[in-house]
Amino acid sequence: MPHEITSEITQVLQAISSGDGRASEELLPLVYNELRRLAAARMAEEAAGQTLQATALVHEAWLRMVGDGDRTWQNRAHFFGAAAEAMRRILVENARRKSRLKRGGGQIRLDIEELDLVATTPDDKILLMDEALEQLQAEDAEKARIVVLKFFGGLTNQEVAESLGVTERTVERQWAYAKAWLFQRIRAQF
Amino acid sequence: MTKTKPQEEALFDAARNLASPAARRAFLDQACTDDPGLRAKVEALLAAEAEAEKFFNDAALSVVLTASGSQEAAVKIGPPGAEAEDGITEVSGTRIGRYKLLQRIGEGSGGVVYMAEQEEPVRRRVALKIIKLGMDTRSVIARFEAERQALAMMDHPNIARVLDAGATDTGRPYFVMELVRGVKITDYCDKNQLDTRRRLDLFIQICQAIQHAHQKGIIHRDIKPSNILVTLHDGVPVPKVIDFGIAKATEMRLTDKTFFTAYEQIIGTPAYMSPEQAEMSGLDIDTRSDIYSLGVLLYELLTGRTPFDPKKLLQHGLDEMRRTLREQEPQRPSTMLTTLQGKELTKTAEHRQAEPPKLISLLRGDLDWIVMKALEKDRRRRYETANGLAMDINRYLNHEPVVARPPSRFYRFQKLVRRNQVIFTATGAVAVALIIGLGTSTRLFFMEKAARQRAVAAERQQARLRQEAEQAEAREAELRRQAETREKITQATVLVSQDKFDEADALISGVSLTQPTVEGAAVVRSLGEWHALQNQWQPAADRFTLLLQIDQLDGWDISTLDYLECGSILIELGDMAGYERFRQAIIAHVADAVYPFTDRIIKISLLRPADEKMLKALEPLAEEAGKSFATNVNADGDVFLAAWRSVSLGLMEYRRGDYTKAAAWCRRCLDYSEYNAPRAATARVILAMACQQLGQPDEARSELAQGRKIIEDKFQSGLNRGTGVQGFWFDWLFGRILLGEATALIEGTPQVIHPQ
Repeated sequence: MPHEITSEITQVLQAISSGDGRASEELLPLVYNELRRLAAARMAEEAAGQTLQATALVHEAWLRMVGDGDRTWQNRAHFFGAAAEAMRRILVENARRKSRLKRGGGQIRLDIEELDLVATTPDDKILLMDEALEQLQAEDAEKARIVVLKFFGGLTNQEVAESLGVTERTVERQWAYAKAWLFQRIRAQF
Repeated sequence: MTKTKPQEEALFDAARNLASPAARRAFLDQACTDDPGLRAKVEALLAAEAEAEKFFNDAALSVVLTASGSQEAAVKIGPPGAEAEDGITEVSGTRIGRYKLLQRIGEGSGGVVYMAEQEEPVRRRVALKIIKLGMDTRSVIARFEAERQALAMMDHPNIARVLDAGATDTGRPYFVMELVRGVKITDYCDKNQLDTRRRLDLFIQICQAIQHAHQKGIIHRDIKPSNILVTLHDGVPVPKVIDFGIAKATEMRLTDKTFFTAYEQIIGTPAYMSPEQAEMSGLDIDTRSDIYSLGVLLYELLTGRTPFDPKKLLQHGLDEMRRTLREQEPQRPSTMLTTLQGKELTKTAEHRQAEPPKLISLLRGDLDWIVMKALEKDRRRRYETANGLAMDINRYLNHEPVVARPPSRFYRFQKLVRRNQVIFTATGAVAVALIIGLGTSTRLFFMEKAARQRAVAAERQQARLRQEAEQAEAREAELRRQAETREKITQATVLVSQDKFDEADALISGVSLTQPTVEGAAVVRSLGEWHALQNQWQPAADRFTLLLQIDQLDGWDISTLDYLECGSILIELGDMAGYERFRQAIIAHVADAVYPFTDRIIKISLLRPADEKMLKALEPLAEEAGKSFATNVNADGDVFLAAWRSVSLGLMEYRRGDYTKAAAWCRRCLDYSEYNAPRAATARVILAMACQQLGQPDEARSELAQGRKIIEDKFQSGLNRGTGVQGFWFDWLFGRILLGEATALIEGTPQVIHPQ
């Protein structure tokens, strides 16, 4: 871990703590890059076929970027918010890229494989989720935030509650509603 | 809308915490009396909740980064455009090994297919498939090498040969195959509006190709329409099965952890996957998995649909998919057609040049049962071989009775009394010439010789790979042996159906059966009977001993009748020691368990006088037989079976020494209305012995004479196999053995009656 990134993160987090609104925007690309770097490093170590949970990555990134040095809940909440959002971007980009490749990239193709199976692959699910999440964002930003933390960040209800400063019961209630709401939108697209 | 949302949300939250649907309804009735729109919204949310839960659970799992395949690019650091490195966008002109890529011709869940040119040793065009999934390329190639010899032995006009395998510079495995310029079979059939008969003709050819592969020990594992291409040779459609050996080589050791790495590959063909493949234990796939997939293919050729909707299979997650494949009975093909919407049905029928009602009635019956037999969840109940499936379709086409049978309510019982076996009813020759391919055709591909030598040399350097290969080979030898055994059973089934018992017997001798098989049991049984009816007791006893071993592998229900056959034969053979061992084994087997037809076990165990211990062991069975008797006989009116039970209980009491009760049971048996000659004779003989013991010699002699008359008449007119209603041959044998005992007791002279 390059030292300057650690200190940069720390600085940004400190800036956020002191109420600098712009600092939040700076956090995301930092976390985004770090998550990708971390994942790539882990991939190189592990044998093929090993899996890495997104949530484990986020937590590991927290430890490596900020360490035990910063135990402020405020900072932790911001960090996880940014990490979940970063994870969302990584996954969505990845799914888009694969979906682009799947469509043949303008190459000539013969119809020798089943095509209808593409509809509900995990990648498509992610893209559908992302789209529906945009809609939810427009209607109810707080719920959208919970979804990002829960779904992409892999946070527990308790962690989400602490991050957002609400009760666990609220998280549970909003998450249940958001799931049903999102699923209705997603299903409409099948 | 935004204004009503908090209310909507609150109602949703309150309602979803009410457990019963009734309580929810009542709550909503009250809460939304004047706002039906709100209520509809809340109800829609509630309805979506369960499915949403499943969707999110599954989707959540997919937020996993894997160190594999095409996802690698997602976490690769590098400038935009570096994605092309991931090896699935090779362009024409690229060289891979000895092959020059010409054109991309297809792409699927497993990989990308290119048309390529091979330059040495011969110039030719081939199909080159690059596997997209990131996997351990070395073990993929090792697995392929292990199967290579067997793959090379495949030489069949309906199989596209797999020629080579290797690794690209980017480390992806690739396979080189004979280039087939064809159309997916289902598309070909629909575009050319092939009627059902012509579809079946194509399908039979596919079965024969698969059979050929199975005889070489190769399982396809991924039979589906896109792997069967139809090409035209002089205007005649020829189906070609492609991708042999690839599913095996790219198979992954599936655990929950690696599951999602293979998700796409698996999801590629859930509709064609056999239940045992869906379980993904990965260890226990055999040729019968292909039989299942052939069944799905046949289903689709006939109806245009797969037995399970692939979309629905995916909708509710993986466990649900496995459960469906494992437990849910698919609709019969004809039933499936009746559920189609009018327009769809018309289109489906049009594609098959038929009117909808005609198409439905064409499928109903034999074709339904043939498909359903191939689709059995329990692979033991499927056709043993692809040939067996093809033969049954041929029987259908020739208007002969088919082996497949409706699984009716009485299926098990029918199986039990074996009234249904086509091997006894089929007459005339079966139209299919069997391909007896055992130990033939070891032709190697000369063109691949040099390549193979190189590959083998490379392989030797790596002990790990060699070991893996050896294990695979051992497994293949076992698979080949199993396939040969199944093939022999299928052939023997045909021979038996043609009354060529001696040939069938020669074929089956020396076969060791390690897996339960319904067809195999049927063949061995009929061969045992064939010997018995010719008074060849020793070979008959051998066959029935083998049959009992097979029965042990399977369930219980067939064996009670088989016991009757085996026990009688051993006594007839004079092998009393063998009979003693036999009945001891039965008693040990049934101890502490309740089985149907306990009366049969009692009867066969007491055909000779028994000691205290044996009688004691049989007591619970007798109690059970007596109980079922008391409760059932009047209720269901099955006096036929009740009469048989009475004989058994009579014999039981006689062996116990309670002659009064014994006589009562025998008289009771004789009072029943549904007459059965060997049963009546047996009852009279036991009654005679009981009377003798009770000091009523006149009645004893009278009963003995009546019993003897029935039995002598039968053996003089000649013993045949018989039926459940008239009595089987072994029922007569049973009666005759007891007659011998009674004659010795009453007249003091042992007497054995022989036919003629």
